[in-house]
Amino acid sequence: MGEDAKGEFEPKIIGFTCNWCTYASADLAGTSRKKYPPNTRIIRLMCSGRLDPMFVLKALLNGADGVFIGGCHPGECHYIKGNFYARRRIAALRTILKEFGMDNRVRSEWISASEGDKFATVMREMAENIKKIGPNPLRGKVL
Amino acid sequence: MKGAELAIGDLGGFLRSLLEKEVVDCLIVPHRVGNNVAYMLVTDPNKIGSGEEIFIPSFSVNAGGLLKGWTIKSKVGLVAKPCEIRAAIELVKLNQIDKESALLISVDCPGTFENQVYADHKDEIGDWIDSAKIEELKGKGLEIREACKICSNMLADVGDIAIARQDGGDKVVVAALTPMGESALNALELSLEDKDIERKDAKAKIAEAAKNNEASLPKFGSIEALEEFLRDCIVCKNCRDVCPVCYCKECFFDQPLGDPVSGDLLNLGAIRGAVGLPANQLFYHLTRVYHVSATCVGCGACADACPKDIPLTRYYPVITKKVQEMFEYVPGKDVEEPIPFTTYEEEELEDRLR
Repeated sequence: MGEDAKGEFEPKIIGFTCNWCTYASADLAGTSRKKYPPNTRIIRLMCSGRLDPMFVLKALLNGADGVFIGGCHPGECHYIKGNFYARRRIAALRTILKEFGMDNRVRSEWISASEGDKFATVMREMAENIKKIGPNPLRGKVL
Repeated sequence: MKGAELAIGDLGGFLRSLLEKEVVDCLIVPHRVGNNVAYMLVTDPNKIGSGEEIFIPSFSVNAGGLLKGWTIKSKVGLVAKPCEIRAAIELVKLNQIDKESALLISVDCPGTFENQVYADHKDEIGDWIDSAKIEELKGKGLEIREACKICSNMLADVGDIAIARQDGGDKVVVAALTPMGESALNALELSLEDKDIERKDAKAKIAEAAKNNEASLPKFGSIEALEEFLRDCIVCKNCRDVCPVCYCKECFFDQPLGDPVSGDLLNLGAIRGAVGLPANQLFYHLTRVYHVSATCVGCGACADACPKDIPLTRYYPVITKKVQEMFEYVPGKDVEEPIPFTTYEEEELEDRLR
């Protein structure tokens, strides 16, 4: 688990994307045949404001190596201000995780429906970055 | 601010007159119980003691939490330490207390002992301690609570009225901080004059000492360190129950996903291969520190309540302070200031997301 055929570390990343922007950008990346590593498992939310920070904690505690959160650009939220609240929550959560050296496993980006390229780039960067950091220290632990 | 100077012996009369003049319908104040102090809700002025009890350096519960759900019209007066009044103010913002029904009176706090420590050493500690006395007691192995050592908000400056005891002298200043406080003092027919209880220099000194004490606490640095710190936690959730700002009626960790039993537990085990029991130890504490990250007043009630003596003061107040600093938010300082998670700026925090 978590290793490729050569026994190298393959990160498992959970991605929470909003229905209106970042999920659509993933769709666009796919239909435009943009290549990016398949490490991220996407979970679609209606809005980044739906993201309960507990989702992120639960993913990390269950052994996810990274968590990605995607939403509409600030000011362009389908629900007007959902991502403004999300931004405060994510910033607070990362501040807490920083005390335990886990903040670098959580990344959020604003990616609009037309930015398939950006989505592919972010996915690539994220996978490479987590590979560098290494596996989640909680992976495989009895928690 | 408007205020009046009272002899310390007049404090009992001051509290009694709040009831007699019907400024409030009841008071929540400390009273002596054996060797200790505890809170009581009192409606009969004759049940009020000398008034000096309000300064006794013993911490039992955070009295701010005692007002949870006070949304009735009858007015309650709470006389408590600044961290307790600050908790009450956060509860007002969380719609758990109707501010119109609560007269909040903060009193100077020199730092407190756990109430069982106080009870065992009542005669040595006495009814009031100052910094010299704290040092003297430290020499005898009696230390104030860790939460108090890292507290920089010990001087009364929150709520509607502040009771300041400058340097432990036998005079106190009772000063109004809000219109509600001023009309309360007016109703008592005290002769009010301009009083300054700002005490900037003293506050800076306390803040400096608090900062140094906090810096000397062990840091976590890694998730494994947190795991080790919480190793003995039995997930009794006492820290949640005594927390003044943890107020959800239906806590996630009392529900099937948060407190899994039987089949739910088996499912968790099936996901992970093995699941530590009681389940969700780390998940519980990480979630809770996030939930109170903006509102934690650092009273240390969680640490006192822990049956396993986990020094939770090094976790909850210390970690939440990082979040509060990011939002430049001091919980309980200003009743009008919204809790950070209920508001936003259009341009902010972009450097904190990735």
